[in-house]
Amino acid sequence: MAKVTVDGRVVEVPNDANALEACRAAGVDVPHFCYHPRLSIVGQCRMCMVEVEGVPKIQASCTVPVRDGMVIKASTEKALAARNATMEFLLINHPLDCPICDQAGECKLQDNAFAAGLPVSRTSEPRRQFPGYDRTPIGPHVIADMTRCIQCTRCIRFCEEITETGELTFIERGGHTIVWTHEGKALDNDLSACAADVCPVGALTTRDFRFRKRVWWLDKTRSVCDGCEIGCNISIEHRDRIVYRFLPRVAPAVNDFWMCDYGRFRSEELNRQDFLKPEIRVAGGDAERRQTNWGEALDAVKAAIEKDPSKVRVIGSAFLTTEEAWLLAALCKDSLKVGSPEFTVDIGPKRRIRNKVDGWIYGSEAAPNSRGCEAAGLTRTSSLSSSSPAVLYISDASFSEKCKDPAFVAGLRQASVLIVHARTRNALTDAADIVLPVAPLSGKEGTFVNAKGLVQRIDTAIVSPPVVRTDLEVLLNLGARWNAFDTQWTARDVFEKMQASVAGYAGLAWDSDALVGNPPSISPAAAYDVLGLERDPGVEVFSRPSVTAPDRLP
Amino acid sequence: MSGGQNLPVAEQAGNPRVGEHGALSCGRTLSFSRETRADFDRLLGRYPTKQAALLPTLWLAQREWGWISREAVDYVATLLELAPAFVWGVVTFYTMYNRAPVGKHLIQVCTSISCHLNGAEEVFHECKKRLGGLKTGEVSSDGKFTVVEVECLAQCDKAPAVMVNDDDYFVITKDKLDAFLGGLK
Amino acid sequence: MSGLSPAPPVLLARIGKPNSVSLDSYVADGGYASWKKVLEGVKGGEWTPAKVTDMVKASGLRGRGGAGFPCGMKWTFVPTKEKRGDKPVYLLCNADESEPGTFKDRLLIEKDPHQILEGMMLASFALDVKHAYIYIRGEMVHGAEILDKAVAEAHEKGFLGTDVLGSGVDLTITVHRGAGAYICGEETALIESLEGKRGHPRIKPPFPAVSGAWGCPTVVNNVETLSCVKHIVDRGAEWFKGVGRNEKNTGPKLYCVSGHVEKPGVYEAPTGIPWEELLALAGGVRGGRKLKAVIPGGSSAPMLTAAEIAGVPMDFDGLVAAKSMFGSAGIIVMDETTDIPKAVTNIAKFYAHESCGQCTPCREGTPWLLKMLRRIVNGEGKKSDLDLLLQISNQMGNGMTICVFSDAAIAPVISGITKFRGEFEAYIEKSTKPEFEQKAPTDLTNEIADRKAAGIHS
Repeated sequence: MAKVTVDGRVVEVPNDANALEACRAAGVDVPHFCYHPRLSIVGQCRMCMVEVEGVPKIQASCTVPVRDGMVIKASTEKALAARNATMEFLLINHPLDCPICDQAGECKLQDNAFAAGLPVSRTSEPRRQFPGYDRTPIGPHVIADMTRCIQCTRCIRFCEEITETGELTFIERGGHTIVWTHEGKALDNDLSACAADVCPVGALTTRDFRFRKRVWWLDKTRSVCDGCEIGCNISIEHRDRIVYRFLPRVAPAVNDFWMCDYGRFRSEELNRQDFLKPEIRVAGGDAERRQTNWGEALDAVKAAIEKDPSKVRVIGSAFLTTEEAWLLAALCKDSLKVGSPEFTVDIGPKRRIRNKVDGWIYGSEAAPNSRGCEAAGLTRTSSLSSSSPAVLYISDASFSEKCKDPAFVAGLRQASVLIVHARTRNALTDAADIVLPVAPLSGKEGTFVNAKGLVQRIDTAIVSPPVVRTDLEVLLNLGARWNAFDTQWTARDVFEKMQASVAGYAGLAWDSDALVGNPPSISPAAAYDVLGLERDPGVEVFSRPSVTAPDRLP
Repeated sequence: MSGGQNLPVAEQAGNPRVGEHGALSCGRTLSFSRETRADFDRLLGRYPTKQAALLPTLWLAQREWGWISREAVDYVATLLELAPAFVWGVVTFYTMYNRAPVGKHLIQVCTSISCHLNGAEEVFHECKKRLGGLKTGEVSSDGKFTVVEVECLAQCDKAPAVMVNDDDYFVITKDKLDAFLGGLK
Repeated sequence: MSGLSPAPPVLLARIGKPNSVSLDSYVADGGYASWKKVLEGVKGGEWTPAKVTDMVKASGLRGRGGAGFPCGMKWTFVPTKEKRGDKPVYLLCNADESEPGTFKDRLLIEKDPHQILEGMMLASFALDVKHAYIYIRGEMVHGAEILDKAVAEAHEKGFLGTDVLGSGVDLTITVHRGAGAYICGEETALIESLEGKRGHPRIKPPFPAVSGAWGCPTVVNNVETLSCVKHIVDRGAEWFKGVGRNEKNTGPKLYCVSGHVEKPGVYEAPTGIPWEELLALAGGVRGGRKLKAVIPGGSSAPMLTAAEIAGVPMDFDGLVAAKSMFGSAGIIVMDETTDIPKAVTNIAKFYAHESCGQCTPCREGTPWLLKMLRRIVNGEGKKSDLDLLLQISNQMGNGMTICVFSDAAIAPVISGITKFRGEFEAYIEKSTKPEFEQKAPTDLTNEIADRKAAGIHS
């Protein structure tokens, strides 16, 4: 560790840190564009200028390795003048299109201009344009607009150093430099939208989110991607019960700063809710299902089960949180006495993500929580046995892609009563006798256990429509009919009840840093300082970083 | 609520359009002749990495095909195990790789300071005028001439200096222009 | 001082001789004697790398490429064998001569390539280099051919290769052609370009001597510097030190005189020759006109007025004292007919075209300066423009960028405006538009843009 003084404050930082990181560790906000904690240092935006004692020239702090005893002066007249100069240079050609730019609100250029820019423009020259290189898709998810580019090369370095696919490059040189793909080649790697994440300005934006919501309206809720077993930490960004996008949330031991396009663009799927009320078919196989209330629906479930408990079969799902899986297992074992519920997981396609600790990590299971389900007492099977029970209770109806396949569903339909938890319509829900509407990932609370065995918590982003319940609530209410559970329990209550008996959960605290996605030593707030997190979705209420304009400005 | 519906451009992702900064297609796949391939193989032995052979390999490509097309970029990228985008980034950084076919005589007029002091700009404009109002970088209709402006050729003592293809021409003042152009067949 | 008395040329001694490029003629003139001498003395311990380095250090040789850094000292920055381990050391001969007003290296390359090669051989010996590269600018097509041929000849005659002349020393030289980028003359950009990348200067430290080409210790020396090394080993450090104005400005020096002189060309003279004598060598100002200004060290050097340059010793320290710089000794003479605003605009055009584009102040600043200057000379200037030009310039230099390119770009603008402000003001006074409706021109008749549109030459 090196002891570094920043504006009179002494901080200890690792020996391989640079002066910019030391400034951030000391709580001194040094604006920057090209620096990114996971990309190589290029020192070319020249924004993070500071003075270093003993060095005559002004320095780009990201390019200065710290040494013990270093004294950094980040707020001197000279340093502020240098940053003002860089801001002026960046702004002379930047379009004045913040009102129609999607990046507005989370744009580093806008933030820094607000904090440190000159109040007037001194240029009267025409602004640089790149005809044909504006508003153009350069890949399936990314739209590029070179008039907004500040040539920081973060996106180029992302494609070279993280995905190692090298789709992007600088083209031309000097004032004509643009960032683009080679002709005829798309930016289409499996993490391509991260290039838009690292873009500090609106030069790269995602076409899926484009023009959909002003970012300052978005509420941010921490969650975990349910696209595969890796369990990338995400922020669900939503407003008025609509999910607008997922962003990766910093998790150095899992997804670091990244997430894959597949997972990211599952966000839209969360806005689909086909079942808004419980549906029930009472008169046997051929009658139409009708909508009903929860009381009647759950009573009907209980009645069906109690007809012949020995002929009840329960199938869970690796999309359940561990808490839900534990409730399901407990209900089967203690109240229904039917033995442990089964579950199965779809395998493939292989997903991957990269972090600094493990390199690439891969996920082949297409669900987030098979490990948690097993730990909670569910039995994993590769193929569901073909018994034909009297009652088949499935939570939930999208546990596998096969649920869309009528042939597969026909096998399950051999049960005399088919009960499903469901959000979206598929062949299985069409066949079901009782459909209990449940909420998607964004409505849930609980924990998942990822491929590395890490327990990660998800929070409720959106309170579901009035008559939709979470799987947890459905199970609590059903269990209450056998006096097994209390309907007032929260996910946290269940978590604490099951801890002792579920492998991997002992000793964990619901509120601990370990569960919310960062290693214990790094809280989300600290991650911002140490890792230079650009967007901090860990904070549920969007708040602007406080910025102070230098007093000397007119 | 699909995100991309308001896209202002019609192009579908996956096949970005050819813009003025993009590599033009020559319409056929390329590979080096046997002789050039041998030169290329010799090159590789001179550097500790394959990548270092990029500039000389692009020179070979230009020698072979006259200019660097999209297909040439793809071919060179494959030869040197580099991303095509990276290769194109390198091509466009340097001024001497032709990004479109050029005339038989590529007339490169230096207009940097010492030549400027000796009337180089006038020579440059006059040169284009006398070739039938040729625009900068354009190929004349007979395919013979292309005129471009270049920076200092390190011939400042022989200003205005002009380079035609690989050859140096000295003290090409305005009154010598006709003789100079006449000499280019 | 005796060090300044005229002497027969050394670096240019063989220029103008018939077939001066051939190895045979070089050897006939005593060439490769030093290389042989050193190699023959290796086994007996008479010649060691340290001895060559010490000679160069003692000679006071300063880099001829522009920065004027002591050559011997640069060599000593290379880590010792114990420290660098298995890593090879590379010597790169910087033949990317592109500084406007500079054309000395071209002459040496095209007329006496073996002199450079012998300098490289001796330097390689001193630095334990097994593979040296010559990075020659792309425009010097024939120069590259001549060097290629010279290297092949040297290999053929056994001056290069493995176990050269039975000494146990191995050395290969490769000629590497650039492709048109001024910035590749900057040593770290040159290294990037040699590695097959865009020529973006690197962040320093680490300096190339510690981590240069392919992460290995690397020394980059200019063509003329390496040629001097040959003569230092030939004639001794004392001789070299005896030529030149003082201990810090030693040796014979090539001066490139161009612009408005009677006999533009490369002149060899002792380092520190007074301005007037140098001008006389070049035949004086063209047509007997009056001298207006001189750019004394390539276009990156601040220009000096006729009064300021009077009596100035033309060397590193002499020109620093005169608030300019010696740079690459590209001396651009401007007579009384020169339109200084147009000349400054021309130089600004060069820098806007050659900026590599990685650092914000340079990438955005150089075209900004150019746009404003063009507007002024096109008769659409504003009164506020000159101060703004100076302010912009001042926020581009002094550590604001990774390399010193932008410092070079602003030098002619600052010196031009401060020293010839009246000429700029005259343009602005003639400006056709009143201040409030002076708009920036939409068409800047920018040739660079024309070229780009045509798809050739960015």
